[in-house]
Amino acid sequence: MATDQDSRRAPWRDLTQVSGARSLVLMTMGALTGLILAGYSLFTARGTTTLSVPAEDVALVNQQAISRSDYLILLQTLYGVDLSHATREQRRQVLNDMIREELFVQRGKELDLSSSDPEARSALVNAVELEVSENAMTAQPSEATLRQFYATHQDRYVSEGIMNVQDWVFPTGELRNIAANLESLKSAAIPAETLARLHGRESGKTKDEEFYFAAKIHLGDQLFANARELSDGTSSTPISLSDGVHVLYMVKNKRPVPFDFDKSRAQVLNDYRNQAIDQLRAGDESFLRKRANVRVADDLR
Amino acid sequence: MRFTIVLILSLLIGAAVFASTGYVERRLLRIDPNALPDDPALLRFAVSRGQPLFMVHCAICHGVSGTGDPAKGVPDLTDSDWLYGSGRVADIEQIIEYGIRSRNSRSWNLAIMPAYARPRPNPADKNIRPLSPGEISDLIEFLFRQQGRAAEATMVSRGAALFTGDAGCFDCHSVDAKGDSAIGAPNLTDAITLYGDGSRDALFLSIAYGRQGVCPAWIKKLGAPGIREIAVYVYSISHPAEIPNGN
Repeated sequence: MATDQDSRRAPWRDLTQVSGARSLVLMTMGALTGLILAGYSLFTARGTTTLSVPAEDVALVNQQAISRSDYLILLQTLYGVDLSHATREQRRQVLNDMIREELFVQRGKELDLSSSDPEARSALVNAVELEVSENAMTAQPSEATLRQFYATHQDRYVSEGIMNVQDWVFPTGELRNIAANLESLKSAAIPAETLARLHGRESGKTKDEEFYFAAKIHLGDQLFANARELSDGTSSTPISLSDGVHVLYMVKNKRPVPFDFDKSRAQVLNDYRNQAIDQLRAGDESFLRKRANVRVADDLR
Repeated sequence: MRFTIVLILSLLIGAAVFASTGYVERRLLRIDPNALPDDPALLRFAVSRGQPLFMVHCAICHGVSGTGDPAKGVPDLTDSDWLYGSGRVADIEQIIEYGIRSRNSRSWNLAIMPAYARPRPNPADKNIRPLSPGEISDLIEFLFRQQGRAAEATMVSRGAALFTGDAGCFDCHSVDAKGDSAIGAPNLTDAITLYGDGSRDALFLSIAYGRQGVCPAWIKKLGAPGIREIAVYVYSISHPAEIPNGN
């Protein structure tokens, strides 16, 4: 009975038998599916002529996309509103401005402005350098790498020294007397009588606590070099300079101390990235030079 | 025959799912990002896709839970204190896209914290002068008073004069020290600290040696959908009450 029913079935429905009609239909379906998929890919892929504007963009100008996110930022910057609260006119104005900019940029490329306009050239150089830097910024180094960088460049991660130093200045003719009275000069407050006898005064170059760099500026290189070696509560030997004989008294000298890794981590990360960026830029330039055909005039070789 | 029907049905279901996902993704990209929280289904979709991306690209600094690390100067993304912008999806998206001091020309790069213990505290601004250790201590006392903590009165008064005077702090942090999220200047009157534990030593380090944290620009690494999905995920962890339950 079942065999009779099977034999009465249309041949294209019987999967056990070869059917020309079925093959043709399946082949057509396959071809159509392929065409649909190819068409979808062709008209939606980046870099090809598309019929519709991709969802992440607001417009295509000669197939060059204008990003939706840039559009939203400009809308916010110009009118202080987000998309939902922008008026039709505001939306249109921003879009028109962006399309205009894109058209002018494209025209600039056609005119090859980068070969003649110094501002365009400078902007391009900066943009390429930034592009290189940006890649280095997204690469997050491991903690081990940062610690190794810190260990290698530990001299960079030190505190600025702090000193509170007093600078007494005497006439050059008093040098011998100063040497004889040095003990009495080892004080933050030299007795007025001693100062008067030696015709001395406070130079006024320093005031309270200062960072090393400030003390160096105020005292000058030679006095600062002497001062930084002094410990708390000690005086220098007389130092002869053009304006007289100086004696330094160190009230407090807090020398530079290395920061541990945790305290300097943020700076280590910045320095590491800066170094990576410098290396990338150098590599980039080297690559560009290698592939370029540069000919230099005879007289400048 | 049955196998053929199952195969065709599977293909149709697969195509429908693909088309539906593509449709939701397009909707996610076209919607006003700040209106996203009003669309629970879209919000759930974006959060579910943003979380794995966050783990891959952001968790290395901000931590798996997004709570950051004050020891590293990495901000907490789960609180309501926003250094840049006001924490709306569009604000977050802009940071992910272009970064902070990322060397992208569109990144947030309007201000740095000067290093007042250096001869030139801010190389970009010659009008900012260095401070002495005593002046930095005065500023710290002033900030302590602003935060409602015990501080030495004379130093507070000197610190206030410096803050609103020639130290130039007010220029970024505002006269009331409450900061300015338009340039990424933190509020100095609250208990939230970006670097360190808020102690005098930690504040001294920040004022003396400066700060300039960096967030990379992800525009070249992640596509527009990925950036928006991460932005929505970050929004979700800072606004947990607005996220509907379930997937």
